[in-house]
Amino acid sequence: MKGKMMKRGDLILIGIVLIAALAFIVPRYLNGDESEKNHIQNRVVHIEVDGKPYKTLPLTEEEQLVTINTDKGFNQIKIHDGGVQMIDADCPDKLCLGFGFVTRPGQQIVCLPHRVSVFIGVDSGEELEVDDVVG
Amino acid sequence: MTSLAEESLLLKKTVILAIFSAAAVVLGIVESLIPLGTFMVPGAKLGLANIMILTCLYFLNGKDTLMLVVLKTLLTAMILGTFSMLLFSLFGALLSFAVMYGLMKISRKRLSLIGISVAGGIAHNIGQLGAAAIVIDSLNIFYYLPVLMIAGVATGIVVGIAVRYLTNALGHMKMFAAFVPED
Repeated sequence: MKGKMMKRGDLILIGIVLIAALAFIVPRYLNGDESEKNHIQNRVVHIEVDGKPYKTLPLTEEEQLVTINTDKGFNQIKIHDGGVQMIDADCPDKLCLGFGFVTRPGQQIVCLPHRVSVFIGVDSGEELEVDDVVG
Repeated sequence: MTSLAEESLLLKKTVILAIFSAAAVVLGIVESLIPLGTFMVPGAKLGLANIMILTCLYFLNGKDTLMLVVLKTLLTAMILGTFSMLLFSLFGALLSFAVMYGLMKISRKRLSLIGISVAGGIAHNIGQLGAAAIVIDSLNIFYYLPVLMIAGVATGIVVGIAVRYLTNALGHMKMFAAFVPED
């Protein structure tokens, strides 16, 4: 095999990519502790289907089970301990289950085959639609 | 009129494309059995099929490789039954192909196959996230891009090393001898 395994250009490219990625990731974790202390009361879980709002729920410590039924199938999410997790779905790739338990505002769980998007936001003051039937 | 030599070259090319497509589809299926997303980041993939695409780009030209990319994406979607995901795969695969083809043309002297593979892997992720952002109509999904970029560097290096060994081994074969680029 002739030549070196990697060239100078490779290292520069990899370096730039890693620095750019870390520049976005590090601040998130630095701010993380601070926002952890913020009240979770004003956090909400937005659920969207096909880019349209489907339901907004408060992010609670108590357990809430929500099933999202669409013409493509179902997704079940569980809100608990100030976070949210996709626990079941009948989509073909099950990628949405891999997102795990998300707790930070801006974090999102997406089920692309079903066009379902679940993300944590900060309540902007609008009325919450709390569904009594869930749970 | 095509001469006998040209015809033989064309035939070899067709056979190479067929073998590469088959290998790429198999690698795509193997990859789907490895749930990388569960312990890294959702959407992260090894990009094993990229081994065949980059190898094809090394031996054949852009047009043939584009054919391989489309064939591989369509066949993998049909076999895995992820047809609703076809748009995302195609978006990622085409962007990745465009970036690798471009880099192969303009900076082959500065980048090795590893660098090109890393760039292709990251382009694949950006393409998929872009398609996803359009479908769910929200740019929030790009939250995952930095983590996917780091994953892309790791898998890109592995794929690049594999391509280096593969091109080296195939280059010694009679069938590929006519296609080894001189550099």
